[in-house]
Amino acid sequence: MASRSIPVIETKRLILRGPEPEDYPNFKSTFTSYRARFMGGPLNDYETWMLYAAEIGHWQIRGYGMWMIHDRVTDKPLGMAGGWKPAKWPEAELAWIIWPDTAGHGYALEATHAVRSHLYRNKGWETAVSYVDPKNLDSIRLAERLGAVRDKDARTVDGHDIVYRHPVPDVLFGSQIEHGIEMEIANYADPLFKPKGMPID
Amino acid sequence: MTAVTITIPQLETERLIMRAPGPQDFDVFADFYVSDRAKFVGGPLDREGSWRMLAMEIGHWHMAGFGRWIVTPKAGDKAGATAGIVGLFAPEGWPEPEIGWDLYQGFEGKGYATEAAIAARAYAYDVLCWPTAISLVKPGNDASARVCERLGCTREEDYDHPRHGTVQVWRHPAPDTLVNGGMEAYA
Repeated sequence: MASRSIPVIETKRLILRGPEPEDYPNFKSTFTSYRARFMGGPLNDYETWMLYAAEIGHWQIRGYGMWMIHDRVTDKPLGMAGGWKPAKWPEAELAWIIWPDTAGHGYALEATHAVRSHLYRNKGWETAVSYVDPKNLDSIRLAERLGAVRDKDARTVDGHDIVYRHPVPDVLFGSQIEHGIEMEIANYADPLFKPKGMPID
Repeated sequence: MTAVTITIPQLETERLIMRAPGPQDFDVFADFYVSDRAKFVGGPLDREGSWRMLAMEIGHWHMAGFGRWIVTPKAGDKAGATAGIVGLFAPEGWPEPEIGWDLYQGFEGKGYATEAAIAARAYAYDVLCWPTAISLVKPGNDASARVCERLGCTREEDYDHPRHGTVQVWRHPAPDTLVNGGMEAYA
């Protein structure tokens, strides 16, 4: 008998659980589509299934992995966020993906912020990177909103990606970066709350 | 803390333990997948591809409720070694649920694939109540075709897979035609 538990993480609007078979259709829709172009896709049905199963097996091998992000109220799957380190990755990565119809609500920010804190506090991560395709502007912007900065000295996965390094735990916890992220999430959660001086564009 | 749990049962045959795949199997697993020996099972792959295959084998259990076991000898100087991976396989796009086997360097020719496949088939029939089972063999993989024959399988029409190309389909004897249901194979 072998088993591995995947912790559940709850945030203001989200509940993050291990990937389950019933969440597969959303993963498949995204990874068989052009939206997966920055993540090795689009894949065919067989490759997509194999990758999803590998997302689950990653937990068993590394002790961490990618969580499925759900809406706290409706339980609707919204995307994935978590730690990712297959064989070729130089360092453990913080990764995220949001299903197309749920983009633009700050869910990736909220989920990734929560899993980063979890991996720092509970899994002993001392640093984290995100490997981003330089054409993936949404992901670069999210990395920057999370306080990550371009690390030109860090090894890339294959030379086609760029590396963003996240603030280390001591820099992040209790910092202005963390408060800024929490304010941004609060603003997404309750649109009536608008901090003074917010740019209008 | 609520949690998700992946559970993988362990089987035992006369000479083998069949257990969950894990990180400790990666080096042997990758050595196989990067070698020419993997040409009949979707390889050769690089180490990255091999790692993802191992992760997939584990996740397969959670997705399908069954999967493949790492086979390891119970006794002798290779006791406990990662000798191969044998079991039940049905990713999306597979023609039907399959009984599959790969043996690693130095563990061929001992009848391990047949012994483990009999136990896997018994598990499929007796525990999962599969009404039938197939095994897929790439043309030219004569050793694997011989295992099919030893297991009492019969050839059916080939199948064309988008990734693996043409594969032979071998049909296993149905549950009620096996002499003692195979129960003893993993008792």
